[in-house]
Amino acid sequence: MNKRRFDVAAAAMLVVLLLASLHMISAAVQRSEELGQWFIPLLLFTLVGLVLLFGLVGWNLWQLLRDYRLRVAGSRLSARLTVLFLVLALVPVSVVYFYSMRFLSSGIDSWFDLQVDSAMEDALTLSKLSLDLHKRERLKLSENLLSSIEDTSQTAMALSVNDMRASSGALEITLFSVQGKVLALSHANPDILLPTAPDSGMVQQVVAGDNYVGVASGPDGRLLVRCLVLDKARRGIVLQALYPVPEALSDISSSLQDAYETYRTRAYMRSQIKFSFALSLSMVLLLGLFAAAWAAVFTARRLVQPISDIAEGTRAVAEGNYDKQLPLPKVEDELGFLVSSFNAMTRRIAHARNALEEGRHKLQAQHNYLETVLGGLSTGVMALDGQGRIQTANRAAEQILGVPVGDLAGERLQELGRHRESLQPFVDRVIEGFEKGVHEGRAEITLYRGVGRQVLLCRHSPLETDPGVATGHVLVFDDVTELLKAQRDAAWGEVARRLAHEIKNPLTPIQLSAERLRRKYLGKLPPEDAEVLDRATHTIVQQVEAMKTMVNDFSDYAKPSKLQVKPLQVDQFLGEVVALYEGGTQRVVTDLHAAGLTIEADPVRLRQVMHNLLKNAVEAGGEQGHIVVSSRIGEEGGNDFVEIAVTDNGPGFDPDLIDQVFEPYVTSKTKGTGLGLAIVKRIVAEHGGWVHAENPDEGGGRVVLHLPGLVLGAEQQLPLLAGMAGEGGGA
Amino acid sequence: MKTLAQTIVAILILCAPVIGYPEGVEMRRVALTLSEDGRILLDADIKFHLNDTVSEALENGVPLTFETHVQLRRASAWVWESDVVEHRLRTVLRYRPLSGMYELRNLVGDERLSFATRDAALRTLGNIVAMPIIERKQLDLDEDYLVRIDVGLDIEALPLPMRPMAYIKRDWSISSEPWEWRLRP
Repeated sequence: MNKRRFDVAAAAMLVVLLLASLHMISAAVQRSEELGQWFIPLLLFTLVGLVLLFGLVGWNLWQLLRDYRLRVAGSRLSARLTVLFLVLALVPVSVVYFYSMRFLSSGIDSWFDLQVDSAMEDALTLSKLSLDLHKRERLKLSENLLSSIEDTSQTAMALSVNDMRASSGALEITLFSVQGKVLALSHANPDILLPTAPDSGMVQQVVAGDNYVGVASGPDGRLLVRCLVLDKARRGIVLQALYPVPEALSDISSSLQDAYETYRTRAYMRSQIKFSFALSLSMVLLLGLFAAAWAAVFTARRLVQPISDIAEGTRAVAEGNYDKQLPLPKVEDELGFLVSSFNAMTRRIAHARNALEEGRHKLQAQHNYLETVLGGLSTGVMALDGQGRIQTANRAAEQILGVPVGDLAGERLQELGRHRESLQPFVDRVIEGFEKGVHEGRAEITLYRGVGRQVLLCRHSPLETDPGVATGHVLVFDDVTELLKAQRDAAWGEVARRLAHEIKNPLTPIQLSAERLRRKYLGKLPPEDAEVLDRATHTIVQQVEAMKTMVNDFSDYAKPSKLQVKPLQVDQFLGEVVALYEGGTQRVVTDLHAAGLTIEADPVRLRQVMHNLLKNAVEAGGEQGHIVVSSRIGEEGGNDFVEIAVTDNGPGFDPDLIDQVFEPYVTSKTKGTGLGLAIVKRIVAEHGGWVHAENPDEGGGRVVLHLPGLVLGAEQQLPLLAGMAGEGGGA
Repeated sequence: MKTLAQTIVAILILCAPVIGYPEGVEMRRVALTLSEDGRILLDADIKFHLNDTVSEALENGVPLTFETHVQLRRASAWVWESDVVEHRLRTVLRYRPLSGMYELRNLVGDERLSFATRDAALRTLGNIVAMPIIERKQLDLDEDYLVRIDVGLDIEALPLPMRPMAYIKRDWSISSEPWEWRLRP
């Protein structure tokens, strides 16, 4: 049983109990002889019950007032309905109460009007007069009886009282002395041996000389006339005689006396009777009022409940809670229809909301999917709206352009140029493409940035949200710098391989032919001609030798390498290489700090790298050359690497060529093939490292190599890297 | 409206616990005696004083019922233990307008006595002579007993319309201080 039902049951039970109690009070008032003893307990029970009911009503009204102040949904309507119901109940009840009280009061007063009072008094007086006559006769008779006593001896008096009683018809005759001593007694009932004692007042009156006559009730309720007379002969004797009043007179007088007493008592209790009735009526009124008040609050709440629910539900829906379902009223009326319609509405809204939510989830999933795919691309992708404002950009776009493009969402594309000046050509070309109205475009854009020359292959296409409706552009670009470089390297490799192949073949016959000419004709020719032949053949042989060297260099560059890697102590290896250069005019010193670090390398190829670099450094430094070979251990991404630097004190690299010194045939030297640093780069790449050239601030030039240190599993990684580099180089 | 106000006041007063003020009855002498035949008898001289309100009611024919309540119980008895003996002597005093006499009626024996004056009737009412309580042999001689006597006007015996006001008005609270003492038979 829920709380509300319990409250209703308790209140109903209380009202029923109070009604029963009031009914019993009414019964007790009407049958006071039988039920009179229950009157006060019932009264108290009713009062306590009324106090409880009052408390219940007060509590309900207080709750209503509190809800009204807190502006709880439905409280205002409940309050208005309650007040309305209360007024409707109060007015008729008050009118009924007012007139009931008036009728009651005047009705009770009418019982005791003056005429009835007078009639009752007259009846009593009449009865008294009638009795007085009888009393006087009996008094006279008693006086005569006392006078007739001549012999005052105890025995004579005992005998004479019996005769007197018998002759007079008295019930009891007693003779006393004035001191109160019983001298003789005669009673109609011989078992009674004690006289009916007069009270002291009567005796004093008689002793004072005034005979007493009065009416008293006998044991059976019948009236008796009591006479007390003093002996006139002054013998000190008092006679008490009790005469029964004639039955008819006694009955009438008793009846009249009872009626008079009842009337008198009622008249005396007039105000109390009114009070009792008023109390009962007031309790009925209070019960009615409290029950009506409670019923008013209850009914108002019950009527307003569906409306409150709807108001609450509407508020919940307004706040976005579309799952709100209202309890259906038990009675199928218009309110019930309204509630069921509301429930249907919220169900539909919730359904639509769920569908929308599902669609949003799907969209988000697609968005995430697209973002993941785009994020995983190495190609930069940017979406622009119709006005050229950046909408989205993937990670690769940021990496390629070197600008956090994602942070510039909503900005125009021109902002990129303002952000980084080197991107201006990119911006210009893209905008140029848009402005030309080209539906789809493709362009190769070269940027000159701090990291060097960067070539972007850029494509743009319209962004169509609906077929045929372009709302923006999609910009896709790749950094093809490395690709172009690799293509160029591959092309150079191919050229070198063919040159080596085509040129090397005729060189040996040329050399042999020149040597044969020299051997055959040197001795036969005159000295002048012999000198010319000697110089000429020598030049041919020397130049052929030089060409062979050049062709070998080409061959080395072009030849696909196969690394024979093994663990190598870097510092030890560098010491061995540098030791070969000791004793020359130039100073070659070491500054090694990679002791203990082992790398996986092909010692022959790496030695070639060091020789190429030292050779360049020696040539750059000239006679006063000062070369420093240094090493140090670095760490990047949790992996160790060794950095080997060869620094000379020469003129340094041409700043215009510094980015291209590792490309074939880029050299500032008058001699050489221009392949030395290209070979260095290739071998370093084959070892999974990289190389760059720089001009230190203190002057000279420096070439820095980075080679990965030996890590767990490096044995497996290095050949793979070497293989990839080799394949790349070969291509 | 006056009646309604009185009603409300009466209701409020009735809600409070009813407190009896012992006055109007004075126990001048109370004695227990042992008769020759071994009965314990009660003698008492009780003085009743009726105030004007009660006197007026009596003169207007309202019968007044007085009750003399005598209890005898073991001194060491628990609260729930019943009394060894209990007597309720109920006597009605009323005025008879026809004869102008005051009448005492013992409700037990239906004995009626008439008196010319109210004082004479009240004197007789308060004079208890040799009222048998219990036979001595019925008591445990090694036990202490408590005798308690209280006398008062029985409001519940008043006519019903008078009872609510009688409970509220102090004038109607006519009772004695309980008379209690220890008895060693």
